[in-house]
Amino acid sequence: MAVTAPAAHFEAEPTVELGRARSLWRVIRRKPLGAVSAALIAVIVLTAIFAEVLAPYDPLAAQPEIRLSAPSWEHPFGTDDIGRDVLSRVIFGSRISLWVGLLAVGIGTIAGMIIGLLCGYCEGRTDLVFQRIMDAIQAIPGLVLALAIVSVLTPNTTNAMLAIAMVIIPGNSRIVRGAVLAAKQNRYVEAAQAIGCRHPRIILTHILPNVTAPILVIASIWLGNAILIEASLSFLGVGTQPPTPSWGLMLSSSGRAFMEQAPWLALFPGLAISLAVLGFNLFGDTLRDAWDPKLRG
Amino acid sequence: MYKYTLRRVMLAVPVLLLSSLIVFGLMRVMPGDALTALMGESGNIGEKELQKLRRDLRLDLPYWEQYLLWLWQMVSLRPGDSIFTGEPITTSLAKAIPVTLELAALAMILGLAVAVPIGVLSATRQDSAPDYVGRVVAVSGLSLPDFWLGTLVITFAAIWFHWIPAIGYVSFWESPLRNLQQFLLPAAVLGYRLAAATMRMTRSTVLEVLREDYVRTAWAKGLEGRIVVYKHALKNALIPVVTIVGGQLGVLLAGTVIVETIFALPGMGRLTVEAILFRDYPVVQTNVMLVAGTLVSLNLLVDLTYAWLDPRIRYQ
Repeated sequence: MAVTAPAAHFEAEPTVELGRARSLWRVIRRKPLGAVSAALIAVIVLTAIFAEVLAPYDPLAAQPEIRLSAPSWEHPFGTDDIGRDVLSRVIFGSRISLWVGLLAVGIGTIAGMIIGLLCGYCEGRTDLVFQRIMDAIQAIPGLVLALAIVSVLTPNTTNAMLAIAMVIIPGNSRIVRGAVLAAKQNRYVEAAQAIGCRHPRIILTHILPNVTAPILVIASIWLGNAILIEASLSFLGVGTQPPTPSWGLMLSSSGRAFMEQAPWLALFPGLAISLAVLGFNLFGDTLRDAWDPKLRG
Repeated sequence: MYKYTLRRVMLAVPVLLLSSLIVFGLMRVMPGDALTALMGESGNIGEKELQKLRRDLRLDLPYWEQYLLWLWQMVSLRPGDSIFTGEPITTSLAKAIPVTLELAALAMILGLAVAVPIGVLSATRQDSAPDYVGRVVAVSGLSLPDFWLGTLVITFAAIWFHWIPAIGYVSFWESPLRNLQQFLLPAAVLGYRLAAATMRMTRSTVLEVLREDYVRTAWAKGLEGRIVVYKHALKNALIPVVTIVGGQLGVLLAGTVIVETIFALPGMGRLTVEAILFRDYPVVQTNVMLVAGTLVSLNLLVDLTYAWLDPRIRYQ
């Protein structure tokens, strides 16, 4: 009986979450780069949501009579080789990038988390087998693996997203596994095992809350990388297919072909990718600063 | 050290075998087989010829036999011919590998030559203007896509300096000057990302080491700043940097795929992209496996170097 009482204290989850939110807010206020990254992400998300309202023209409407026109008041980012407005295409492109990034990271994080939890909690043979499979996937460079997967499936946005998720799984599983191994050392986990808690309950209520911080940090950093891989795949012609506006595709199709005559075609989509990736990378750094006790100082 | 080396090699073998299974499995996941997909696209070949081609390429064998045969071909360095060009894969690889090796080596030299001094400067002048500049350069390096940077470099080099990358690869032995002209910009683009990651790592490890007791002792002895930083601190700070550089090798190899495509360099990366676009499966699986094998071997080498540098690792 004496052991069961303290277990209840560890289920005070909302306090932990509140603490995390507060420490994140404190770091964002103290570190200007954190605030900048949060603002960048907010701008990209809002642009994607309100693309129809914000875009001045239809991103697919071609006007050959104004093809390759330089940036002006009517077309602030200029027009492409068939006269489509580049600003509208960049705005709509944010949808593809965010959508692919969020879904790929979501699938990759959840799958990586399940494998990491299983490996860290069960250890032994399960751990050995799964971790060797993860090693084998990680032995193939991310972009090359994603390229190979997309080449086998049909090149399109959905398959690019699945390929990126596959690239994310091994790294995530390893981080979760490490966090689970550390969380298992806690006395309350031992106590929960001693009072006969079932494994799923121990994993879900006692271990999972301890690994959410590293998962969120790594997911935010992966979002930037996922956007970059999607853009790279589209750039190589195996991601999003024309005429859908995707930042990587805009760079590879008209951006490269007309780069001397119309440098704005390469400039703006690339700038959009860089800012999105920068935003998520900096935000990941801020999250880590806020939640890693060693860095909090 | 002998026992540690043996254990690490034993761990690398199943990883490589599993990688080969993944690569082989991937190429068989698609409905039908590689040939059906290829011919479906060209659409002008009869069923009889298709059967003959399938027999020639051994695609009529059961999967496990195909896998063992492929493994044997890889081990005996005879990976077969390209479906698309008919050229032996070893011949295309012999032409492509030196290009990629030169690009990767130059990128690494350029990247490290910039990253380590800036990382040290950033750490020794923490929170000053050079530190901020160094950190911004590093974060941008991780955020700017290689293909954008490459495109911009070519665009602005053409507009401002009227310089266009030479078409047609020239080897270093034929004309060293022209070869370096061809490789310098792509290597700089590729090296930037490596430099960014290394710069961040060097900064944080130097910062950590500068707070160690022995460094304080060095200062207390009245040693010159340069000697404290470069002779005492940097030596220890560079050990984790070796691991980061090892980890970046994968990024470097993946980067060659993009950079070689943009700068029209006929290396492994471009060969792989073209094989993927033309669905040339024997070439894709050989190249991907070769890259995986190289990465596993290089990581093994980094681990062994690390263990050799730091004896504590061997006994863990």
